[in-house]
Amino acid sequence: MNNNMMNNNMMNNMMNGNQNGNGAGSLLRRIQAEDFALYEAVLYLDAYPTNQKALAFYREHRKILDALKEEYRQKYGPLTIYDNIDSGEWDWVKGPWPWEREAN
Amino acid sequence: MWIYDKKLQYPVKIKNPNANYAKIIISQLGGPDGELAASQRYLHQRYSMPYDKVKGILTDVGTEELAHLEMIAAILYQLTKGLSPEEIKKAGMDIYFVDHTTGLYPIAASGVPFDMKYVGVKGDVIADLNEDLAAEQKARVTYDNILRMVDDPDVRDPIKYLRQRELVHYQRFGDALRIAQDNLDSKNFYAFNPSYDK
Repeated sequence: MNNNMMNNNMMNNMMNGNQNGNGAGSLLRRIQAEDFALYEAVLYLDAYPTNQKALAFYREHRKILDALKEEYRQKYGPLTIYDNIDSGEWDWVKGPWPWEREAN
Repeated sequence: MWIYDKKLQYPVKIKNPNANYAKIIISQLGGPDGELAASQRYLHQRYSMPYDKVKGILTDVGTEELAHLEMIAAILYQLTKGLSPEEIKKAGMDIYFVDHTTGLYPIAASGVPFDMKYVGVKGDVIADLNEDLAAEQKARVTYDNILRMVDDPDVRDPIKYLRQRELVHYQRFGDALRIAQDNLDSKNFYAFNPSYDK
């Protein structure tokens, strides 16, 4: 499985690439890195659904990702329409949106 | 169904707009081996795919291609944001600008609008998976060509990520083809698919 994983260098870029220095940005970077690791395991598991090493990898990273997403949701707002915390306002529409420079 | 995740799969943060780069990178939005073609190819092929594991691979790779389509769009959006009409004219982007301003319209770099002819769906497991293996390699070559033309590290970084994903998808489609061939008769070493006429 490792040779199909993205090289460490790129993974580090993803983790450290945030230059706007704000908390939302660095937390989002960690979510992107974990989400990437998980998705890589998903594609592998589609072809090898009984591979225990891959299943363990999925389990481990799913736990980390869930915790990071919950932290993001509480601090900075929803990542999906189902995550919107009812603050008396529909936070989902608040920018920046993902394709905008300021969101990255 | 699909649910929108309000983040890019990999960050895109481009400091310097550049219409020349946008003019070539737009091929990965609406060109023959671009991300729109990739997403539609896999997500339409899955309905005639007889094997569960391969249905999964087509669904999940196809979904990832939608995320890549969004990354390419983000690159193009940021590369063209705030350009003056003079800068657009100087880069030769005026022939796009006249019809679309800086809105994102899927075309190939040559100006040909996106065409469903880029999306191979034969309804045959061997034909479709070989199409997909070739498609991933062709997309990889297009990214290599973009990297030959683009110097800005802010642009190269997400393009290198997307190139890397083509290699991984090629691996997974290799698995898919092996799964499909294992399901054919083991004596069928010419690997044609007899299921439709059975």
